[in-house]
Amino acid sequence: MQSKATTVQRVEIKAQARLRSLLKDYFVNLDSAATDPARKVAWCTSVGPCEILTAFGFEVFFPENHGAMLGAKKVSHRFVPRAVGVGYSAETCSYMNSDIGAALAGYSPLQEAYGIAGPPKPDVLVYSTNQCREVQDWWYFFGRRHDTPVMGVCPPGHLGEVTEEHIAFVRGRLLALIQQIETRFDLRLDWDRLREVVALSSRASGLWRELLETARSHPSPLTFFDGLIHMAPVIVMRGSQQAVDYYEELLTEMQDRVRDGVAAVPDERFRLYWEGMPVWPKIRELSEKFLNLHAVIAASTYCNSWAFEEYDGGDPLWWMAKTATEIFINRDEQTKEVFLLDMFRRFDIDGAIFHNARTCPNNTNSRFGMAQRLRERHETPVLVIDGDLSDVRFFSTAQTMTNIEAFIEQLEERKR
Amino acid sequence: MSERLFVGIDAGSSATKCVVLDERGRLMGKHVSASGFDFAEAAETVLSRSLLEAESERDDVTCCVSTGYGRGRVPLAHRQVTEITCHARGAREWYPQVRSIIDIGGQDTKVIHVNSDGRMAEYRMNSKCAAGTGTFLESIALKLGVPLREIDELAMKCVTDTVINSYCTVFAGTEVIERIKAGQPREDISMGLFRSIASRVVEMLSSRSGPIAVTGGVVAHCRAMVRALEEALETEVLLPPLPQHAGAYGAALIAIGDWEAGKGGRQIGGGDTTISTPLDPPLGRGEAGPHGSVSERFGAK
Repeated sequence: MQSKATTVQRVEIKAQARLRSLLKDYFVNLDSAATDPARKVAWCTSVGPCEILTAFGFEVFFPENHGAMLGAKKVSHRFVPRAVGVGYSAETCSYMNSDIGAALAGYSPLQEAYGIAGPPKPDVLVYSTNQCREVQDWWYFFGRRHDTPVMGVCPPGHLGEVTEEHIAFVRGRLLALIQQIETRFDLRLDWDRLREVVALSSRASGLWRELLETARSHPSPLTFFDGLIHMAPVIVMRGSQQAVDYYEELLTEMQDRVRDGVAAVPDERFRLYWEGMPVWPKIRELSEKFLNLHAVIAASTYCNSWAFEEYDGGDPLWWMAKTATEIFINRDEQTKEVFLLDMFRRFDIDGAIFHNARTCPNNTNSRFGMAQRLRERHETPVLVIDGDLSDVRFFSTAQTMTNIEAFIEQLEERKR
Repeated sequence: MSERLFVGIDAGSSATKCVVLDERGRLMGKHVSASGFDFAEAAETVLSRSLLEAESERDDVTCCVSTGYGRGRVPLAHRQVTEITCHARGAREWYPQVRSIIDIGGQDTKVIHVNSDGRMAEYRMNSKCAAGTGTFLESIALKLGVPLREIDELAMKCVTDTVINSYCTVFAGTEVIERIKAGQPREDISMGLFRSIASRVVEMLSSRSGPIAVTGGVVAHCRAMVRALEEALETEVLLPPLPQHAGAYGAALIAIGDWEAGKGGRQIGGGDTTISTPLDPPLGRGEAGPHGSVSERFGAK
């Protein structure tokens, strides 16, 4: 049960400063590429085929990252109505709506953060619907706006077992995408370069996975909230040496923490799991709430979304097809349930929080009884909170904080 | 008086409630007042009035626990506990056999399930929406220009199975106006409002095993709410003697527990926030609960 308000001090992650300069370099480079006629910019979905784009020589921008920045900046709700005004439902993806609305209003958080005007003008927009169909419509909006080609891959979705046929199909679509880009831009893919980029991508992803795994330690050296900050390179700089170098440094720091018993949440009493999207506009408040409750969110589905399996040096397209199809969000409920149970067990989880994100049904897993099944069949305490990834109007701070405190009270009762 | 007193203050979104117990868990005083703009002020008001009823002084208060949305704004409280835990604690004390507690408050509705050993197994709060809460009723009553008490009286005369179907307070208001225009009896429309809330509560109930208790201001003041819940749940519900004070009662019981465990409070007349010597275990433990029977302390339902 909650004592009177106390403030617990967290230990800062040293690599944070390097992350800031890394991201600044990334965005400034994108900006200069967009204004240089000799260079090309591609927009790509966060778990899309960015390695192909990098291997072709495109600088790659990730609009979902921009959507998350709008959310974290607590301004999404100002721009969603602009998108709604031009026909996009307020109940569809608030990343998409706020990104479209911000573009219509001429605003970007990149202006203040990195001193650049906004998202770089694209030469091509490439999507994969392995995460949701909304990205396709989002990309088409900007395709029309910039008079730019939109290309994409639609892997089979909601899969239980991922078969060779599924992977072969997606591989075929990736090959078709390569041919489309070659034709449209009069380019030839350098397959050795693709192998190199895929190897770097796999290496960064592997380090990211190792990093997340350090949270299995008691106490955990990092939290879900740390993950949200430090995941940027594995998304936007996948396939680069800089991302690999960064995660090597961060992993060493976390391993040192484990060795020295440094806790991300001092006096760690409860270990929680976060299922679903983050509530970007409320990250700070939520992080402080859990810190003061001495509860660490040791693992999450979201941060694990970029923890791919290792590339063996073989066919790079096969690896890309397999990783793109196998991801959690692209699977059926049963597979997701097995994954979650394995995570709960491996991270020694006391309770799981499911975020019912109003505008993100695809990355919400509490709508078909999964939370109840986990509670009843597997005796895992679960809490479902209502909110949204970006639009703060769907979130009640007071109600959510009471829910979280009551959940900790419930876990305390269990431990007694 | 120089008896040790234990206080629970439930600073709710609409009303602030206070319960004062002696160390055996007997009710010594209680009060409820509108929360208004200032939770701290409302807490002071209900505490003063409750202590007056208890014929006691502030120095007699050994330990105080606060709950409710304004729980962080109660100066006297040595700690805060959520209203979910407090309502469950209060209801279990009245009815040890209870397995589900439905609390319909001003701002939110909670459904809490407890295990046979009394531990909280699961709980749910309504989503960010007024439908299914006391605010819903207040909003419609305001729209109709009819006091809530009158809506309750009308509803109790309803003989049909009318339900207000809209899923949203604003649309429900429109639906009510449409029905008035269509000439539907006021009794039916009024009962339809309570049934609308009951249907939202049913959505939140994941288990129906064991007795169900109802708490909160709405069931305290509206018999039609209890009737609508019983219809929707197809079973009788337990209505405690002080439904609106259930959270404050639970908080006061937790305060006793904290004192007994040496986790909080102060010595009589002193300003210490820690306890030097825990008291002897409370007397009068009975089958109905650790602090005696329901009828002994509050009178039967």
